[in-house]
Amino acid sequence: MFEIGLFSYLVIGLILFATGILVMIARKNIIAILLGIELILNAAALNFVAYSKYSVGNLDGHVFSLFIIVVAAAEAAVGLAIVIRFFQIKETAHIDDAVLLKN
Amino acid sequence: MNVNYISDLIAYMPELLVIGTMLLLLATEAFIKNCPKMVSYIVSFIGLGFAAISLLGTISNPAKTIFFDALIIDPFSSLMKLLIVVGTMVAIFLSYSSKDIYKSLKAEFLIMTVGIAVGGMLLASANNMLTFYLGIETLSILSYVAASMMKRNELSAEGGLKYALYGGITAGMMLYGMSHIYGLVGTLEFAGIGSYISEYSTEKLLILLPAFMLFFVGIGYKIAAVPFHMWAPDVYEGSPIPTTTFFSIVPKMAGIAALVRITFIFFNVDGGILQHTWIGVLSLLAALTMTVGNVAAVKQRSIKRLLAYSSISHAGVMMLGAVVISEVGVQAISFYAVVYLFMTAVAFYVLSHISDMNGNDHMERFSGLASRYPLMAILMSIALFSLAGLPPFAGFIAKFNILYALITKKYYVLAIVAVLNSLVSLYYYMRIVRVMVFGAPESTEAIIGFSKLNQAVILGLSIPIVLLGVYWNSLSMFVESASIIIR
Repeated sequence: MFEIGLFSYLVIGLILFATGILVMIARKNIIAILLGIELILNAAALNFVAYSKYSVGNLDGHVFSLFIIVVAAAEAAVGLAIVIRFFQIKETAHIDDAVLLKN
Repeated sequence: MNVNYISDLIAYMPELLVIGTMLLLLATEAFIKNCPKMVSYIVSFIGLGFAAISLLGTISNPAKTIFFDALIIDPFSSLMKLLIVVGTMVAIFLSYSSKDIYKSLKAEFLIMTVGIAVGGMLLASANNMLTFYLGIETLSILSYVAASMMKRNELSAEGGLKYALYGGITAGMMLYGMSHIYGLVGTLEFAGIGSYISEYSTEKLLILLPAFMLFFVGIGYKIAAVPFHMWAPDVYEGSPIPTTTFFSIVPKMAGIAALVRITFIFFNVDGGILQHTWIGVLSLLAALTMTVGNVAAVKQRSIKRLLAYSSISHAGVMMLGAVVISEVGVQAISFYAVVYLFMTAVAFYVLSHISDMNGNDHMERFSGLASRYPLMAILMSIALFSLAGLPPFAGFIAKFNILYALITKKYYVLAIVAVLNSLVSLYYYMRIVRVMVFGAPESTEAIIGFSKLNQAVILGLSIPIVLLGVYWNSLSMFVESASIIIR
C-alpha cells in the first residue's frame, strides 16, 4: 500500500497553494480573497512542518509554522477590519467596486 | 552554546528604545484622559531621538550576531536603521500640522509609524528567514492600518484594502518559497543557505530556483519592484500625505537593506546557475522598475501619485546597486539612501502644506508658488532637480556613485538605461518647476501650513541636499566606514 510520507504532504501543500491562488484570481468577493490568502499561508505552514518531521530533523520548521499561525491571525484581523471599513463606505464587498484609484 | 543575553540586549538597544517609545505612546493614549497631543509628540521625538543617538554611537562597531544568530548588527544595518528612525521622525513631524491625519487620530498615527519602524529595523538586521518574515509582516500589517487612516474617506479605504490584499498574497507566496528552501537546505539561517548554494551541484540548485523566485516576490513587493509595483501608486495616492511620506522612505529603506543583505550573503562567492539567474532577474527588474516608474509618472496630474511613481523608479536605481555584488555597490546604495531621504522629505513637505490648503494635490495648485512663497518654491525646485539627478545637487552624486559601481562590473547597458531614465524623469520634474515659476497664482490667500517653523524645518531638510552635492566627500567616507559587510 502507499505509505503516507513527505511526498503526500508536499502534494497537499501544493494543492492548497494552487487552490489559494485560484481563489484569489477567480473570486470577486473580498472575504473570499482573504480566505484564499489563508489557504496559501496554511500550505506554507504544512510544508514547514512536513519538511521538519520527515527530511530536515530540526525543530525550526515547527517554530516557523507557529509563527505563521500567529501572524496569519493578526493579518486576518486587520484585513477584516479594513474590509468592514470599505463595506461601510461603499456598501459592497465586491473587488470590482474598488476602482477609484487608477492611472 | 555561549548565551550572553545582557550583551545581546545591549546590542539591541536602539530597537528596544523604539519599542519602549511605542509602548509609552500606547500607555499615554490609553491611561491619560484628554491627553494633549503635544505630549505624544514629545514622547515620540525623545524616544526616537535617543534611538538615533544610540545608533550613531554604535554605527562603527564591528559586526556581531545576537540572539542565536537571529539578528545581525553590523555597520550597514545600523546605517539603514538610522535612516529608518530619521525617516519616521520626518513623517511624524509632518503629521503634526497635516490636516490629512485627523486630530483625534494623531496619537494612533504615531503608534503605527513607530511600530512600522520597529518592523523595518527588524527587517534591516534580519539574519535568518524567521526574523526576515516577522520583519516584513510587522512592517506590512501596521502599514495596512496606516494607509487606511482617514475614516470615511473612500480613497483611503480603497488604498488600505488594496495594500492588505496585495500584501497578503505576496507574503503567502514568499512563505511558500521559504518553506521549500528550508526543506531542501535544512536550515533557516542565511549563512547556512549561502554555504549550501556555494557547495552544491547544479541539479540541486535548479530545484531551488523556483523557491528563490517565490522568495523574491516578498522583497520585490516591499520595495515595489516592477511586476509587484501595482499596489504602490494606488496606496500612495489613497493614503494621507504623512503616511505617503513615511511609505516612500521607511519600508523602502528596510526592503533595500534586506535585498542587499540577501544578495550579499547568498551570492558573494560564485553560486553557479542560481547566482546568474538571481543577478539576471534582479538587473532586468531594476531596469524595468526604473522605466515603468518614470514613464508612468509623465502623465500624472496628482503630484502625490507622480511622486509615488518617482519613488518606484528610485527604488529601481537602488536595486542597481544591489546587482553589483561588491563593497562599491553597497556604498553607493547607502549614499543614495541618505540623499533620497532628504529629497523625498522636502518634496512631500511642500506638497503636504499646499494640498492641505486646497484640498487636493493637482499640479495646478502649485502654480505661481514662486511669486508667493519664493523660498518654498526654490527649495521645492532644489529637491526636484536633485531627484532628477542634476549636477550641483546631492542627487547627482548619488546617481553617479551607482553608475560608477555599475561600470566597475561592466554593466554598461544598465548604466545607459539608468541615464536615459534620468532624462525622462527630468521632464516631469521640470513640469512642476515650470508651473511653480511661470504659472499665475490661483489665489492670494496665505497658505497656513507655511508657518515660520515649518518653513525653517523644510529649509533645514534641504540643506543636506545642497551641501552633500558639494561636500559629498565627508558622507562618502562615513558611508564607506559604515558599509563593510561581513559574511
